[in-house]
Amino acid sequence: MRECPIEDGSGAELILAYVAGTLDPEREAAFEQHMRNCQNCRELAAAQRDVWSALDHWTPVPVSQDFDEKLFRRIAAEERSTWWQRIWRANWSWRPALPVAAACAVLAAFVLLKTPDSAPAASVPAQPQVQIDQVEHALDDIDMLKTLGVEVPAEQTKSTERI
Amino acid sequence: MDRKRMIAQAVAQPSMTTRVNNDVAASSLERDAELMLRVRAGDQASFGLLLERHRGPVIHFLFRMVQNQAVAEELAQEAFLRVYRSRATYEPTAKFTTWLFRIATHLALNWIRDGRNEKSQQSLDQESADGATRQVADRGRTVEEELVYQARLNEVRQAIELLPSKQRAAVMMHKYEELEYSQIANVLTCSESAVKSLLFRAYESLRSRLAHMA
Repeated sequence: MRECPIEDGSGAELILAYVAGTLDPEREAAFEQHMRNCQNCRELAAAQRDVWSALDHWTPVPVSQDFDEKLFRRIAAEERSTWWQRIWRANWSWRPALPVAAACAVLAAFVLLKTPDSAPAASVPAQPQVQIDQVEHALDDIDMLKTLGVEVPAEQTKSTERI
Repeated sequence: MDRKRMIAQAVAQPSMTTRVNNDVAASSLERDAELMLRVRAGDQASFGLLLERHRGPVIHFLFRMVQNQAVAEELAQEAFLRVYRSRATYEPTAKFTTWLFRIATHLALNWIRDGRNEKSQQSLDQESADGATRQVADRGRTVEEELVYQARLNEVRQAIELLPSKQRAAVMMHKYEELEYSQIANVLTCSESAVKSLLFRAYESLRSRLAHMA
């Protein structure tokens, strides 16, 4: 091993494998040879070995004696359950989407049931019904008043112009 | 059905394999896959054998993930129940252990994500003490040795607990279950290089947190 594995990027994997004892004998010997001259690798391997042995402290606790019994009881209960309970319990990948689907269904039902007739018609402002006769009559009245020299109010004139 | 009776039945009836589809090259399959195929074919005793083989590793893995023995056993029950429920659709496309650990990891990560560990935190110390007592009861340590052991164990547990959940799962599978990078990648549904990166970062954190224990 010429180059330092830490420098060429393979150091972490190599040191993990070395400490875990999963390196093949040839690579292990080469790495040990390298460590004699490389302080970085030596220190890293020692630190990793410390972690490894610290983790060894955590030995497993015994399993409860009734673990299997409980499990087989649950299996037996499942096998007695009804078909719809089994379907519900199955690991459906779409199950989380059920609430969304239900909401969509309710929305769709609402849209379909709602008839267009029941919608209140948009309030359109009532257009004044204009009678031609009335307009003519008003214009005549204005002309007559003008000829008589009576001043016509500006509003009235405007309203007839608008018409 | 009584587990012992089921196991005895499986051992006494090696001809049970005849129930499995003959086209399947059972001899080339790993033992677990073969047992699972028997379960698929309706042989409940083989499920007992699978449970016998994997109960310990799965519970220990879950215990280290959630740090609570009762919760770990509950999650392990759920994992094995899911295996049993999926028997009809089981195909030996991947290693059985990979599949089993994927289910277990999924359950543990969900449990951690949902923050349910906070609820059980109160009982953790008690659990820890009980577990530790059970762990060392037959080792013949003196009281002093016992106290030192407990202190070290708590530091290890805390250091592990501080790891992000995916890093924690990767370390547990690498260190204690001795799974290969490819298997861990399969369990965590990520690439091998992502697993290596998770592990390197996790061990780096542990090296700094546990350095004083050397």
